[in-house]
Amino acid sequence: MIPQFLSPFLELLLAFSLTLALVLAYFAIVQRDLVKAAVLSAGQSVAYAFTYYLLAAPDILFAYIPIAVGIYTVLLLYAVSKTERFEEGG
Amino acid sequence: MRPWMAAATKACALVLLIALCVAILLGATAHTPSLELRPLAEFYLENCLNPYDKAKWAASPEAVTAMLWDYRGLDTVFETTVFFLAIIGSVALFRFAEVSLASYESKLRERREEGLSIIVRVVTRIVFVLIVALSAAIALHGHLTPGGGFQAGSIFAVAPLLAIAAFSRRFVEGLGLTKNSCLAIRTTGLLFIALVALIPLALALAGVGAFIIQNQSKPWTPEFPGYPAQLGPVWLAGSLILFNVAEFLTVGSGFTLLFLLLALPEDFFRRLVKR
Repeated sequence: MIPQFLSPFLELLLAFSLTLALVLAYFAIVQRDLVKAAVLSAGQSVAYAFTYYLLAAPDILFAYIPIAVGIYTVLLLYAVSKTERFEEGG
Repeated sequence: MRPWMAAATKACALVLLIALCVAILLGATAHTPSLELRPLAEFYLENCLNPYDKAKWAASPEAVTAMLWDYRGLDTVFETTVFFLAIIGSVALFRFAEVSLASYESKLRERREEGLSIIVRVVTRIVFVLIVALSAAIALHGHLTPGGGFQAGSIFAVAPLLAIAAFSRRFVEGLGLTKNSCLAIRTTGLLFIALVALIPLALALAGVGAFIIQNQSKPWTPEFPGYPAQLGPVWLAGSLILFNVAEFLTVGSGFTLLFLLLALPEDFFRRLVKR
């Protein structure tokens, strides 16, 4: 699946994308601006989608991109639009 | 949160990122899955497109689609049914008089210009066509290349979602994607899936050797010819392309229906509840 010259770095790319997902998930949790949190969550989904690509799972990738990046983010933004944009307290 | 704390958090995250990368490069995970195939994977790869031994073949080079709709086809049929019930539940929640919505919206129609800026609208027009074309290609090639009905349907659903955001819900409904037509397409797709899955079963009841959701002819059921694997030069992979197209319609219209319901104006509901 991935280009030949990248295959020696497969584990490095996997580690990078999964750790990036972890970092983005952390920032999505601590972020007080819920719109920014939704976008960070979409970024985490992109990192996961890249992981699926690296693991040679294009079938999952094709379902994951529209749902996790598109539909899920829009549903979150829709829910945020019904309430307040900034998280209170803390 | 104070500024220095935010900076410290970011620095910690960066250190964590680099440290984990280095650790994994040095072999910290100890065991990575082997690249050799397990017997189950070998079975699917050997049999899914094997013209020399058609006893267990699915007539499709796409092993994932072959598993989804042939070897483990019943699972997918039930998944589709569950998804259908979820959509039906949402529609039941949003049950209201169509007439009152029409009268409510005719009052709003004085504002002609709606949607986002002209740049967004022009780009959305272009991207809309591309998304629909891509999703159709993924659905029609689902038995040959990665992807399939569910993937194509969820990709398709992004197009009306974009159009609702950039234009309005009425723009999408003007394209013919109204609540009722989506529900009709959805039900048709599900009925088509049920039909393709149940035809062999009906034959079995009639005394012909066949089993439910059968794709190709099997040695132990020689009477059932199987769905056509090819139509001239076009590879069809039997029932797989039928299932993929039907699932594409089902999932795409199902998601579109949900977005149409979510895009309904909130104060309309408030008025409806107050009455």
